[in-house]
Amino acid sequence: MKKYDIKTTDKETLKKWFHLMTLGRAIDEKAPAYLLQSLGWSYHAPYAGHDGIQLAVGQVFEKGQDFMFPYYRDMLTVLSAGLTIEEILLNGLSKATDISSGGRHMSNHFAKVNWHIENVSSAVASHDTHAVGVARAMVYYKHKGVAITLHGESSTSEGYVYEAINGASNEKLPVIFVIQDNGYGISVPKKDQTANRKVADNFVGMKNLRIIHCNGKDVFDSMNAMTEAREYAIETSNPVIVQANCVRIGSHSNSDKHTLYRDEDELSYVKAADPLLKFRRMLLRYKRFSEKELKEIEAEAKKELSVANRKAISAPDPDPKTIHNFVIPEPYKPKVYVDGTHNKDGEKINMVTAINETLKAEFRKNPDTFLFGQDVANRDKGGVFNVSKGMQQEFGENRVYNAPIAEDYIVGTANGMSRFDPKIRVVIEGAEFADYFWPAMNQYVECTHDYWRSNGQFSPNITLRLASGGYIGGGLYHSQNIEGALTTLPGARIVYPSFADDAAGLLRTSLRSEGLTVFMEPKALYNAVEASTVVPDDFEVPFGKARIRRSGADLTLVTYGNTTHLSLQAAEQLAKEGIGSVEVIDLRSLLPLDKGTIFESIKKTSKVLIVHEDKVFSGFGAEVAATIADEMFRYLDAPIQRVGSTFTPVGFNPILERAILPNAALIYEAAKKQIQY
Amino acid sequence: MKKTGLFYGVNTKKTALIGKEIQEAFGENKADIVAVEEAGKKSFEQYDNLIIGASTWFDGELPTYWDELLPELENLKMKGKKVAIFGLGDQEGYPENFVDGIGLLAEFFEASGAEIVGHTSIEGYTFEGSRALRDGKFLGLAIDQENQSDLTGSRIAAWVKQLKKEFN
Repeated sequence: MKKYDIKTTDKETLKKWFHLMTLGRAIDEKAPAYLLQSLGWSYHAPYAGHDGIQLAVGQVFEKGQDFMFPYYRDMLTVLSAGLTIEEILLNGLSKATDISSGGRHMSNHFAKVNWHIENVSSAVASHDTHAVGVARAMVYYKHKGVAITLHGESSTSEGYVYEAINGASNEKLPVIFVIQDNGYGISVPKKDQTANRKVADNFVGMKNLRIIHCNGKDVFDSMNAMTEAREYAIETSNPVIVQANCVRIGSHSNSDKHTLYRDEDELSYVKAADPLLKFRRMLLRYKRFSEKELKEIEAEAKKELSVANRKAISAPDPDPKTIHNFVIPEPYKPKVYVDGTHNKDGEKINMVTAINETLKAEFRKNPDTFLFGQDVANRDKGGVFNVSKGMQQEFGENRVYNAPIAEDYIVGTANGMSRFDPKIRVVIEGAEFADYFWPAMNQYVECTHDYWRSNGQFSPNITLRLASGGYIGGGLYHSQNIEGALTTLPGARIVYPSFADDAAGLLRTSLRSEGLTVFMEPKALYNAVEASTVVPDDFEVPFGKARIRRSGADLTLVTYGNTTHLSLQAAEQLAKEGIGSVEVIDLRSLLPLDKGTIFESIKKTSKVLIVHEDKVFSGFGAEVAATIADEMFRYLDAPIQRVGSTFTPVGFNPILERAILPNAALIYEAAKKQIQY
Repeated sequence: MKKTGLFYGVNTKKTALIGKEIQEAFGENKADIVAVEEAGKKSFEQYDNLIIGASTWFDGELPTYWDELLPELENLKMKGKKVAIFGLGDQEGYPENFVDGIGLLAEFFEASGAEIVGHTSIEGYTFEGSRALRDGKFLGLAIDQENQSDLTGSRIAAWVKQLKKEFN
């Protein structure tokens, strides 16, 4: 027996539904008018034709229990879930009081973060892995609820949708993937996306996954499907796909003209399938409402929209002075080691031990910490380089676990877990090697956007560890430095220690901070004697604070990671030969960059050499050089010079690797030239 | 004499055309045309033999005029009555749910006690899946005006001949 049908569903419920659907459609139809009047809402993706399923998702959503990840067409979904008309209009008009993002995010991206109607990307279905991550946290914390993620059928062509559904199936997580199938990805028909017209059928082989097909144009079928899906997901802690067959009555958006690719016949039959008109006809046919009663509801909706409209158009616009707010949350401020240095004596430990021990110490201190990644936890193995060795044994399989070989999934689900509760701290190995991080770039961008895009309402609290760099004879795919590509994206802190104590201190600070920290580990130094140091138990290093590893007066050498040690060797030789004294600054943090320490040194030496392992061309040193040129030109007695790798990939044969990566001799020569300039 | 009713959406284009051809094949005054758009419970219960038709919409749905009617027919008493179904589909464009409408209607009328007659062979059709399939046969007459309109006339003639026997 189905729970909802036209004959037995109570009248109050039917009234509520008709009211919501009428109101939603009125906004959907009014939205383009704002653009015509130059009032805003320049992006509007009409939902007409998706009415049944959107109403149902909003009705089934339980505030306080569930998380929802709506997409840009989900206007009725959020209205049905409880957003007010005014809240929707404020988002459409990008006002400062828009609860989704304060006008920062594109219109039609509705959210109410404090209800866990999440602020999501425009990159289709990027939020699927977030839903999986939040469901993972729900299960861990024994929270009764579901994560509902929504998008069109074309989005299932994205590889990360497969990753998300596969992950939810494997981890047995209560996620409802709602696929609103209207037959098009903008103008691209389904047949150009995938072989199965019912795209959900692509996932039929997945274990623990239930697939429910419904008519997304029909209110009752959609309500029954969503009710069944939620009950199943909660009772069994398993994922469900609800594929809702919809039509797109309008164009994809107001930048699309569907008459260029749809004929009149098609346009007339999709119009004939209008879900709102169907529902209205049924209410009359089955004598649940009279024409007069329906007209009253329609008139009331019109009035409500008019009142909300007046308020919304007079709401304040965002203040341009606020653009730098909420780029990244304020980090934890070290209290004992304020500048991130120490003078402790004792036994030296190597970098891998320092990282391992710091992780363990922080995991003991904070029970809301999690670590996962590829190959990080299988019996005695703890990562390719043993960084996480012993952690699963000590903290259990629910806090320390392997991830599938799916980098986007790793980062995306870490982001999702963070959404469950801001107290959570997630440590991930973003990839086995930094070289394999590229598939996760979409999720990386999401993580850097979240805080700003949500106007400070949500921050992914993630420490993203990446074993980086070369000098291990690893060739093209085990030697890359990717910081140059990452530092251009605001919204992350990026650190790259070169000594065991700094690695420990930066990691501790990262684990205690809100926000995303990329923790680059020079893997050639994991067990290196020269990187071993004494590490105080409670050592902390603040972000954005460089460390002078050798004082000097004739040349400022700015470096980080592997080349810190090569630079120190070169400096030592130059000193021994009486050529000059080099001040070696280990940046430790690239983002934020400690300009103060660099500038103070240059004031003293008047010359600067920037050294890093990455390519000179467009490497991070280019930014450092430009910054110095902009702000310190008057102090310079020589042109800024840079040393790094050649503008080639890193070759596998050691002969090639040596010819490509910088070495102490190269640094020595460049430094000598600078000193003697 | 047993009464035969021919039910289809009279406001449709293709389905109505096939409906009329079926009526002609039965012979003058042998089957009453009943507009599904206006039909109610009584319309169905007054006939002994029913021929009902529908196309399949989208990825396997009944047209709205059927969809909106079915809740009204929930307690239909069809025991002892025979129902034959024709459906329009596109085996090339929608091979995964070819003439699903026949299957949907068959399931519904079977549940109300009717006997579904007019099963036909799948020979001559190429498709991947259909809700109208049972025991290797269609539960009714499958018409494909998009790809095999040249076969429609002979298919109707053969089906009507078959129904004349099965309705007795």
